[in-house]
Amino acid sequence: MLDTLARPQTELEDQSFIDGVITEFGSKPGGLLSILERIQERNRHKYLSPEVLKFVSSRTGVPLSRVYSVATFYSFFNLEPQGKHTVCICRGTACHARGSRDLLNNAKLMLGLHNQEDGGADKLSLTTPDKEFTVRTVACFGQCALAPVVEVDRKIYGRVNEREMRKVIDRVDSRGKVP
Amino acid sequence: MKIRDLEALGEVRRQGLAKYKPARPRIAVGLGTCGIGLGAEEVYQTFVSAVEALGADVQIVRTGCFGFCAEEPLVNIAIPGKPLVIFSQVKPEEAEHILTDALAGTVDQARALCKIQSWDHLTGVVNFGEGFPGIPEWDEIDFYKGQKKIVLRNFGLIDPEDIEEYIAVGGYEALLKTLRNAEPERIVEELKKARLRGRGGAGFLVATKWESMRNAPGDRKYVICNADEGDPGAYMNRNQIESDPHSLIEGMVIGAYTMGASEGIVYVRAEYPLAVLRLKNAVAQAEAYGLLGEDILGSGFSFHLSLVEGAGAFVCGEETAMIASLEGRAGRPRTRPPYPSEKGLWGHPTSINNVETWYNVPVIVSKGGRWFAETGTERSPGTKVFSLVGKIKNTGLVEVPLGTPLRTFVYDIGGGTGDEKAVKALQTGGPSGGCVPEEMFDTPVDYEALAQLGSIMGSGGMVVMDEDNCMVDVARYFVEFTHSESCGKCVACRVGLDHCLRILNKISEGQGTEADRDALEHLGPMIRDTSLCGLGQSAPNPVLTTLRYFRHEFDEHIEKKRCSAFVCPELVCYYIDAERCKGCMACAKVCPSKAISGSRREVHNIDQERCSRCGSCCSVCSPAIAAVYRESGGITRRIEPRKKAKRAGHREKTP
Repeated sequence: MLDTLARPQTELEDQSFIDGVITEFGSKPGGLLSILERIQERNRHKYLSPEVLKFVSSRTGVPLSRVYSVATFYSFFNLEPQGKHTVCICRGTACHARGSRDLLNNAKLMLGLHNQEDGGADKLSLTTPDKEFTVRTVACFGQCALAPVVEVDRKIYGRVNEREMRKVIDRVDSRGKVP
Repeated sequence: MKIRDLEALGEVRRQGLAKYKPARPRIAVGLGTCGIGLGAEEVYQTFVSAVEALGADVQIVRTGCFGFCAEEPLVNIAIPGKPLVIFSQVKPEEAEHILTDALAGTVDQARALCKIQSWDHLTGVVNFGEGFPGIPEWDEIDFYKGQKKIVLRNFGLIDPEDIEEYIAVGGYEALLKTLRNAEPERIVEELKKARLRGRGGAGFLVATKWESMRNAPGDRKYVICNADEGDPGAYMNRNQIESDPHSLIEGMVIGAYTMGASEGIVYVRAEYPLAVLRLKNAVAQAEAYGLLGEDILGSGFSFHLSLVEGAGAFVCGEETAMIASLEGRAGRPRTRPPYPSEKGLWGHPTSINNVETWYNVPVIVSKGGRWFAETGTERSPGTKVFSLVGKIKNTGLVEVPLGTPLRTFVYDIGGGTGDEKAVKALQTGGPSGGCVPEEMFDTPVDYEALAQLGSIMGSGGMVVMDEDNCMVDVARYFVEFTHSESCGKCVACRVGLDHCLRILNKISEGQGTEADRDALEHLGPMIRDTSLCGLGQSAPNPVLTTLRYFRHEFDEHIEKKRCSAFVCPELVCYYIDAERCKGCMACAKVCPSKAISGSRREVHNIDQERCSRCGSCCSVCSPAIAAVYRESGGITRRIEPRKKAKRAGHREKTP
């Protein structure tokens, strides 16, 4: 039943990719994690849609409840489409001691995300309504010697202050720029 | 080429040595994640192009990290017959100069950080040469003085992507010896003599753990390397894998042989892409040389190693949670017994050890347990790697014998805060540890001594806090972390930490009462005593230690509504001194809430209603003007603009 429901929703090309990773990792230790990691990595918006979760469940035989449980338990998985650009702020201890909470608040204010509901938690992922930017946190990049650390579009910037972070975000922000 | 005997290994060793200690100059650029973050990749590329442009006969290689992260990019230069010379903070524009010097058989002695005349890799000694009297030996400079590199024996010297260089310094000989002797019980004996304790934090005796796994019935057993380094503030495991992946593999194969396991897994954080890449490469090389996979070294013993990337859940560092994660479920711990050594992954006996534990194994096999136990203390032998970070001048990875006092880390190796600020506390053990106040820095670092203070050694994170850090905020920070990482299984941890967080929020907002403070002291032991796994059992430590040693800060927040570190946003207001403000617009431009009014050359003013208290204005106001000031509970402080972390200066030039 799930199988027939899932089919029309998941594009054929994706289906064969998913089948491929299931064949490769399905029976290995940590298989489900590896499968979901690879599917998310390949997705244009870096997320796992409900259709994909259903499809993975139908093909692996793992109950959907468990696939969903795994996808929601680990902070690496996104269940919502992510922004074109990602600003990831490290909230490790060394970064915190060197002022990363101010950086986080600043990034949220800069991108108009300060009013979005984040549950008051420090661990968050917020995306602008136009899907241009996602601001998220990571527990620790392990780059503590360069604290505070911010990652913008997968490039790490160490020893940053508000001004430098602003410069980097402005540089990648293509909105409202006259071509 | 598959290696099958000592002779073949010796042949590869000779080939490797020709690369590691070539007959031509060799320039190695430290390309760990820290180095790359500070521009080492550009430095490397510049060296490559310079060598091409000059057509020079020089070997350029990538190496790992020599530990001194604050001084990255580190570059080491080996000229045949001369000591290996390490340069720090190398910029791309210096590459040509360094290269031409090397071709002329010399180095700029005043520019160099330190030198190495001879290096004991513990599995083999390499003599580089003598000379360059103007450069101090590596262990003569402050950062390395007192360090002893057992785990970090190959770091920043060999090429981590070339198995032959690992073999060149005696790598895989311990494995060959182990398989030749075919006496796995002797490995356990050596571990017993070494009294090696697990380096992940709990400090369980490795020999006991391995022996019980060895004796567990079953023909299918697993060994797992716990590289899910989730402690914020700790990154030694990342660096270990990036800089010397083969030591891990060798340790694991020896362990698997000893315990009778045929399958191994390295569970590594997905946030460490370079470590994953280098380890995958190392596994492929080890397989190609017959050191991993089927019929290892022709002994008939087979062992397969695979990698699993974790997906960002701190609790998966707990062994039963990690097993659940590997079985494809949410990482929630379960009760023990049965211990994983009896019933682990899919019900089979499983032994999980921390990355650093595995790194000690080849050395113990090679040099013997007695030799290992000579270092460190009676109950905590050996060394431990710590990541020294936070408000400290010399950040980096520090490996010292256990029993070294905290003071040595902060002042001798770390060089203090690097500015006029005083050190307030040292946080050890991450979210499971505690904050040790400055007065107690004479405490030796070992498992028991730190536990007595209410902290733990943990995996080895050490974060230095100075007077600009608020201890209420630190406690709140850690509870925020453990609260969001709690898997939710135990009520005490799930609800208790939530309650702690609410109270700490109240206190940091100036709404707390004495009853709130007392409630924290009541909740802490309750959460500790009634949680199932290490996360909940240790989560109250940061709160309890700050309450114990920094009670006055809590009281100040409660009674005076004052945060004397000017950290807690709700208790701090920002103002502009009209007499000092020159109207330069710097603060107005950077203010994300647009709370600062006043145009150019006009005195600025902060609208307290709109101000989000982010402190951006403080960080941009010129120190010469210092117009922005802060107020909290009746005390004020003029801004000290947040400087970029000052990098450790070059050593004083010797006349």
